[in-house]
Amino acid sequence: MPNTEIISKLLARHDTWRGQSQKSTQRSVSSGNDQIDLLLKGGWPTAALTELLVQRPGIGELSLLLPAIRDYCQNNHLSVWLDPPYQPYAPALAAAGIALQKVLIVQSKNPREWLWIAEQCIRNNALLLAWSDNKMASYSDLRKLQLAAADSGHAAFLFSANKERNHQQSGSSPATLRLEVDSAGEKNLRLSVRKLRGVAPGEQLLIPRGKDLSSQTSLAKLPVNSIHSATPISTDIPRIKTSEQRLNV
Amino acid sequence: MTRATGPYPEKIWLYLHFPLLPLDALLDDSKIEDDRQIPTAVVGQEKNAMRILCCNDSAKKSGVEPLLSLSTALALCPDLLTLQQQPEREQTTLQQLALIAYSFSPVVIIAEQGLWLELSGCEKLFRSYRQLLQQLQKKLSHRCAHIDMGIAGSADAARLLCQTGFRCELPERAEVEQQLRLTPLSLLNIQRRQQQSFKQLGLTCLEDLLVLSRAELASRFGTDIVDQLQLLLGEQPCQLTRFKPAVSFHDLLQSTQGIFSKQGLLFPMKTLLQRLSIYLQARQCYCRKIEWRFEPLIGEPSSMCISLSGSQNSWATLLDLSRLQLERIHLPASIETIILSSDDFVDGLPEGLDLFGTAPSSNNALDGEVSLEASRLIDSLRARLGPEALQQPALGSNYLPEEAGKIVAPGKHPQLTVDHNGLQPLWLLPRPIAIQLRQQQLFWRRPLYILSGPRRLSDNWWQTDQQRDYYLACDNEGARYWLFRQAGTDRWFVQGLFS
Repeated sequence: MPNTEIISKLLARHDTWRGQSQKSTQRSVSSGNDQIDLLLKGGWPTAALTELLVQRPGIGELSLLLPAIRDYCQNNHLSVWLDPPYQPYAPALAAAGIALQKVLIVQSKNPREWLWIAEQCIRNNALLLAWSDNKMASYSDLRKLQLAAADSGHAAFLFSANKERNHQQSGSSPATLRLEVDSAGEKNLRLSVRKLRGVAPGEQLLIPRGKDLSSQTSLAKLPVNSIHSATPISTDIPRIKTSEQRLNV
Repeated sequence: MTRATGPYPEKIWLYLHFPLLPLDALLDDSKIEDDRQIPTAVVGQEKNAMRILCCNDSAKKSGVEPLLSLSTALALCPDLLTLQQQPEREQTTLQQLALIAYSFSPVVIIAEQGLWLELSGCEKLFRSYRQLLQQLQKKLSHRCAHIDMGIAGSADAARLLCQTGFRCELPERAEVEQQLRLTPLSLLNIQRRQQQSFKQLGLTCLEDLLVLSRAELASRFGTDIVDQLQLLLGEQPCQLTRFKPAVSFHDLLQSTQGIFSKQGLLFPMKTLLQRLSIYLQARQCYCRKIEWRFEPLIGEPSSMCISLSGSQNSWATLLDLSRLQLERIHLPASIETIILSSDDFVDGLPEGLDLFGTAPSSNNALDGEVSLEASRLIDSLRARLGPEALQQPALGSNYLPEEAGKIVAPGKHPQLTVDHNGLQPLWLLPRPIAIQLRQQQLFWRRPLYILSGPRRLSDNWWQTDQQRDYYLACDNEGARYWLFRQAGTDRWFVQGLFS
């Protein structure tokens, strides 16, 4: 006699693969950007680990998460930043509407501690943002975090350096979403999905970087040379004529 | 309320007597069960001889009883375990018992070897006096094995009527009055000469005194006896000092054998934390910080401090935090004394319930406050990692970026609402880094190009005047930087990254 209870329990699990059924069971939290929401089928997945493969820091990867962090903090959750590469700048966070009391920066001393903190935070309903630059998390570690996130029902974000992971484990990761963040010229950011249920790997999105550059400086008055290097960049920024940028020394 | 409505329309005084207090004070409550089997007695100095003060049941079976001399007792029962009386520990135990009783009645008075509780009106919380007494007995018996009790309309009468054993029933008022009347006068606290004269007059019990006129009694035996009678009958209010919980908490447990492992510490720590929890409940407050001290017999003691970011008074949480922190510290080889103290409290109702008896949900917390769950997480992280591992970003009152965005310890936020508008990076470098200018080309790690700027920032004129022009720059891989040039010079610095 079939045990229907077990089957219905299995079907209720969000990680049960259901063939060609297109019904999305993934719960998500809006990223604050319609285009990204469209790409990710609703936004950042909750109850899941999201891995952001960042080409290099400073290209705008953190700004992507600011709306989600703000929402979490408004809902009285803590946002834990585990081993951030630099000091978060409080005025910028405040300007993004994030309650600073809800942001906690934690420094770990070794990989074991890193994993413990990450798991504690996820299991205690905090929004985790973890950087794992120096301490490469192993597959089983990430699986642990993924399971913890699935249990707690909250989103967890892991920033890992793109190159290293590429080399070490050709794209195998237990994270629900793996998103590559890349810069496409000075003004744009390219997001490419490496892994997400229901999305073909390699799907890309080009979004402009947030800051308004309208107050363009009169470059002629600058005491420095501002010419771009010879390496061609695939960019939609209009090239500035060399003569305007040269200095009259 | 008239006398007819109930058996006790006025005051109900309960006197609890702890006959084995000297013994209970010396035994850890953890071991009471085991130690009942071993014949044990407490000895004290009395009239130049060591005499038995009290002993447990198994010692009584061998014929040992109070006031025997030590040598006689040892002759009767060679296995007798004897402990030296420690009056200060008896006082501590009595205080602990008073704390427990304090959650049953607001009027608790500490007697020499017992407690008074005034119970009238307290039954409403427990639905009936019977349930109140049952719960009181249950709570007290954790700490004290033997309890005798007496109930009457006044404190003194309750003590006079104290009988062996604990009964969870309120006696009838008439019965109590009858008993009181039949109390022999020899039990009253009066001088021997007066006792003698009562005897000669044929006065044996209290009833004989009560029929006499008070004025006559006073003129013949002095006003003291009349005062005593008035107190006994509840005609004069009780003047004894009421118990109040101490301002700070300090408690210790001793282990004669010594504790050698961290695992072994957990049990006494749990006991101490449970006592702290009773204390917090009695005082209706939360605790913010607790301090542990582990003292060996010889050598340096070690201590640890646990600060709590939120309000906490559950012993289980405190034990978890203590255990996490215990892993980080180095302990003496053998620990003899464990001390728990705390003096940082916040008023408030522990486990606050709202009007309908449900705990208010944590979502209702005010905007600036951290929820209970979050503060628990902060506490456990701090306990395991140490206070230096946790930080929070905070606004500064200055406009210079290195002072506008600070890093502080959790919960140490200044109340500031500073308007820092304009273009700001998410990452700040610990300090501005001077960058090179190679043939008029800005260079930090790789060539940098200015995208926009400048934005003039002038601040700190009262110390060293700082005039900076801030620029947004990028490199050829798309990373964005926050640069500034000191006005009037050609010195460039990078201060942040736009992430």
